[in-house]
Amino acid sequence: MKILRIFILIAIAVAISVTSFWMGQQSYSWFPSQATTAAKLVDDLFCFLVTLSSFIFFGVIGALLYSIVFSRANRLDTTDGPAIEGNTTVEIVWTVIPVVLIIWIAAYSYDVYRQMGILSPMQVVHLHHPLETEPAYAAGMNEKPDSAEEIGVVAKQWAWSFHYPGRDVTSTELHLPVDRRIRLLMQSEDVIHGFFVPDFRLKQDIIPKRTINFEFTPIRVGKYRLNDSQFSGTYFAAMQADVYVESADVYNQWLDQAANREPVPASNQAASEHIEQPDKLIQSGWKVHPPAPPPVVNHPS
Amino acid sequence: MDVLITSDELTPTAIDAQAINEKGNGMFGMSVFLLSESIVFLSFFATYIMLRTSTPDWYPAGVSGLELLKPTINTVILVSSSGVIYLAERALDRNQIMKFRVLLLTTALMGTYFLYGQAVEWSSLTFGLTTGSFGSTFYLLTGFHGLHVFTGLLLQLMVLIRSLTPDHATPESHFGFSATSLFWHFVDIIWIILFALVYLWR
Amino acid sequence: MTGISTRDMSSFDEAQNKKSQPDWRTYFSFSTNHKVIGIQYLVLSFIFFVFGGLLAMVIRGELITPESDLVDRSLFNGLFTMHGTVMIFLWTIPALVGLANYLVPLMIGARDMAFPLLNAIAFWLIPVTGILMLSGFLLPSGTAQAGWWSYPPVSLQNPTGHFINGEFIWLLGVVVSGVSSIMGAVNIVTTILRMRAPGMTPFRTPIFVWTVLSAQLLQLYCLPALTAAGILLLFDLSFGTAFVNPSTGGDPIIYQHLFWFYSHPAVYVMALPVFGIFSEIIPAFARKPLFGYKGVAISSISIAALGTLVWAHHMFTSGTPDWMRMMFMFSTMCVAIPTGIKVFAWTATVWNGKLRLETPMLFALGAVVMFVFAGITGVMLASVPIDIHVSNTYFVVGHFHYVIFCTVTMGIFAGIYFWFPKMTGRMYSESWGKLHFWLTFIAANLTFFPMHLVGLQGMVRRISSYDPQYTGWNIVASLGGFLLGVSTIPFILNMVASWTVGKQAPANPWRATGLEWTTSSPPPPENFETIPVVTSTPYGYGKSEPLTVSET
Ligand code: HEA
Ligand code: HEA
Ligand code: CUA
Ligand SMILES: [Cu+2]
Repeated sequence: MKILRIFILIAIAVAISVTSFWMGQQSYSWFPSQATTAAKLVDDLFCFLVTLSSFIFFGVIGALLYSIVFSRANRLDTTDGPAIEGNTTVEIVWTVIPVVLIIWIAAYSYDVYRQMGILSPMQVVHLHHPLETEPAYAAGMNEKPDSAEEIGVVAKQWAWSFHYPGRDVTSTELHLPVDRRIRLLMQSEDVIHGFFVPDFRLKQDIIPKRTINFEFTPIRVGKYRLNDSQFSGTYFAAMQADVYVESADVYNQWLDQAANREPVPASNQAASEHIEQPDKLIQSGWKVHPPAPPPVVNHPS
Repeated sequence: MDVLITSDELTPTAIDAQAINEKGNGMFGMSVFLLSESIVFLSFFATYIMLRTSTPDWYPAGVSGLELLKPTINTVILVSSSGVIYLAERALDRNQIMKFRVLLLTTALMGTYFLYGQAVEWSSLTFGLTTGSFGSTFYLLTGFHGLHVFTGLLLQLMVLIRSLTPDHATPESHFGFSATSLFWHFVDIIWIILFALVYLWR
Repeated sequence: MTGISTRDMSSFDEAQNKKSQPDWRTYFSFSTNHKVIGIQYLVLSFIFFVFGGLLAMVIRGELITPESDLVDRSLFNGLFTMHGTVMIFLWTIPALVGLANYLVPLMIGARDMAFPLLNAIAFWLIPVTGILMLSGFLLPSGTAQAGWWSYPPVSLQNPTGHFINGEFIWLLGVVVSGVSSIMGAVNIVTTILRMRAPGMTPFRTPIFVWTVLSAQLLQLYCLPALTAAGILLLFDLSFGTAFVNPSTGGDPIIYQHLFWFYSHPAVYVMALPVFGIFSEIIPAFARKPLFGYKGVAISSISIAALGTLVWAHHMFTSGTPDWMRMMFMFSTMCVAIPTGIKVFAWTATVWNGKLRLETPMLFALGAVVMFVFAGITGVMLASVPIDIHVSNTYFVVGHFHYVIFCTVTMGIFAGIYFWFPKMTGRMYSESWGKLHFWLTFIAANLTFFPMHLVGLQGMVRRISSYDPQYTGWNIVASLGGFLLGVSTIPFILNMVASWTVGKQAPANPWRATGLEWTTSSPPPPENFETIPVVTSTPYGYGKSEPLTVSET
């Protein structure tokens, strides 16, 4: 009987390890595509966390289930279990193991975060001077200065617009050259918004009266979706934009084309919904904050 | 199991001791509460410091700083009133009721003078509540503190009136007064920090 | 403890029950008895839970399709704002204060709370809060619509221009509820620290009392920051000051710091007493002493202390500098250590025990299982690179419903079942209880698990319309959500029916230890005829030590 139990316990331990490892490998498939260098780092970190977490989770749950199955009281049995009040060794062990795990997780996370280098150092220094616009010269940690492509991002209720200072082009689509360091200078005209592209694994709030320098390197050509990630009022859900990562040639071609077009006010979903409410089952009739005037752009989507 | 109970803890005296203990609950609760209340002030102070260090032009146009003389006199009066209320407490402990009443009244008058000085200062200022973060924090901090001073005055008045009726101010039982006195010291300490932050910090 | 079992198992007569059971009208009166107030809190907050849950049903109804087609966008925003606020400020926090009110004096051998009058006032401020907040539905401006965080500057936009608008009364509600909580906390802390029966040394105090103390200390020393934040926002909204409004020169990030300085600890205010409930129920149904009692007691206080140093993990993607992100990442992860000690202690208590899976135990074990999951997703969120991707997505919504619903709410259910016989003098129906558990357990996982998956894919929270690729899991979540709504029905029926016509309960139906079980069910108004003198730890299962002097 005793041997049987030990055998069961070992079998459970092996099963848990195998499952945890398998879960970790599965975790890659839960994400959208990896379109930046950061995405790869984040996914590897997540795989590690899932493996470790699964082990902890199934370990604890396994022990609980084991007791539930094997330590049930007989219906008529009113006696008590063994009066074990604690065991110092065991308690020390289960304090030390989490300490070690936490240090491991924190160190790995720190390392990944450092490699991502998403906030340029200037942003950090000037954080407490919101009224100053910062010179954007410092580059990301692993990049030579000045190699980054600078793009202005303006968020307002409820529209995005992107400004390419070199060509003086404004657009409601974000076009990015692939395999180049990008530096976004992000500003908001009204409330807090958030820049979030799931395939990039990147997110940053845009605080009014500040310029936020945000850096990353796209590595995969494709079309992605930019979401507003910080709740910004009534039409928050509709505040999205398309993001195109393209080869240098296509990118420059697009810039050339856009530069030749006359700026026009872009249409956007919030504005059209505000004028004509779609049919709903329940209308509250609550007065809402009107959308800001649409951005004037060379390239409306 | 270690049996920590000694035999005299089991006698009825132990239980009586607990009943007497309950008398201290009021003051204990009051201290716990004041510590909690100080977090509100702490939050406001933190806000003030963060705004002040991050705003490029702290003083609005036409304001070069706060006048110091009158507020300093005011501060001296408020802080010394803490001493006066302490003397009142001593008088009460020695059952000198008349002296106690006079000293308590003095405290209240000093507090009133403080509020009056504050009102004079407010009315002479050229900026208002909405004059940028400077105006907003100034009026919020002094106003919120003033509200506490006012509450303290009301408490003192209540204690004073109750001390006129028998059995309400005895050396043994004066929870109302002790609480008022503690509150007054609290209001004082807050003012000292506030004064340093708002007036002295240049 | 076997000594008391036979004596207390004998059911006692109806007349006795009638005597100590207060007239139902008392529950609608301004009573200062802690037991009446405790039940008032529990019943009222449960009504708010049903209301908050119905709002969630509309949210899930809207989200079953990708388009915004059930309610208009402003109403949707009002719905999740009110859902979050009602659930936190009017359900979990007051429900746990209610349990604490009922149980703490009984568990520490006191006749009542330290300040009975203050207690009653604190309770009656809860309906005031509720009325204030919910009256937003009747205003032309509608309710507050800026989420329960109410971040400026969105929360400062006031399209109707009225002085009295949804945001305004919402803020008043938050401030009033804060006043009520502070009153409650002063009372509970004083009671626990000063009114324990003779012999009840710190390490003879039940874990539930330890956790309540830790939670209420957090209320005392963190909640004022929320009150301050509320006042600043109210001034900016109503008088045009420049505290947190960037357009007048204020700084919105200050609001975020103040808000989370309270609202992170608030999650431990909700979680800690529930850990206490687990620590009472699990030993009783495993028939073993709580493993590592001292460690569990100390870890409660440590969680509270550490919990005040982690708030900026809600602000990793705001304008937070790198050093702050790293510092708060580390402090946040540290909370896993004392929490882990608790989880392991419960597991070790169950190990080799004599388990009995009655409803309270089912809820407790189910909740612990889901808490481990939730805690682990919490640690993932604490990792800055991961959080940057999943912050403000449904991954976070999934994480916190696993704690706040699957752990806290289910833990409260466990506690209600466990102490129901004590509170009402009647037994609840075991089979309905089990039905409630299984429906809730299954439905909760159906509802909240898929949220993690869509969150990882990038579905943002607080949206009334979403990209079609997320539809599948949202349908599962919505159907699960409706089932979760239905799962509450057996609970309501069980409670109402058992309270009115249930079987008489003995003083100690679970043969549990602890002072509350030495009183009759329900306890007499004064709790104890003579104040007990405590002589041992509260978890004497399997031992033959007397708990109090009178038992020797
Ligand atoms: C009762 C409520 C409760 C509890 C207990 C917790 C517990 C934790 N939470 Fe959670 N959280 C919320 C309620 C709660 N949370 C809410 C409501 C929000 C969102 C609010 C909003 O945005 O609206 C939130 C959001 C939230 C965020 C912000 C996400 C974002 O918005 O971007 C983060 C980030 O760090 C976080 C982390 C944690 C951590 C690390 C814990 C830890 O305390 C968990 C510790 C527990 C364990 C880890 C499990 C047991 C331990 C072991 C078995 C030991 C071994 C384990 C390891 C070594 C890993 N939570
Ligand atoms: C204790 C806290 C608590 C609890 C218990 C719950 C319970 C539930 N929550 Fe809640 N939730 C929050 C706290 C809580 N929530 C918070 C803080 C937020 C964030 C708000 C913000 O972003 O600002 C949030 C946000 C939130 C969202 C995200 C909204 C968004 O970001 O757009 C969703 C979406 O599904 C959701 C769903 C649910 C569901 C289905 C339940 C269910 O568990 C509810 C089940 C209960 C009932 C249904 C009531 C009882 C039912 C009956 C009496 C029978 C009648 C039944 C039918 C009609 C079917 N919640
Ligand atoms: Cu747009 Cu937030
Ligand atoms: Cu938190």
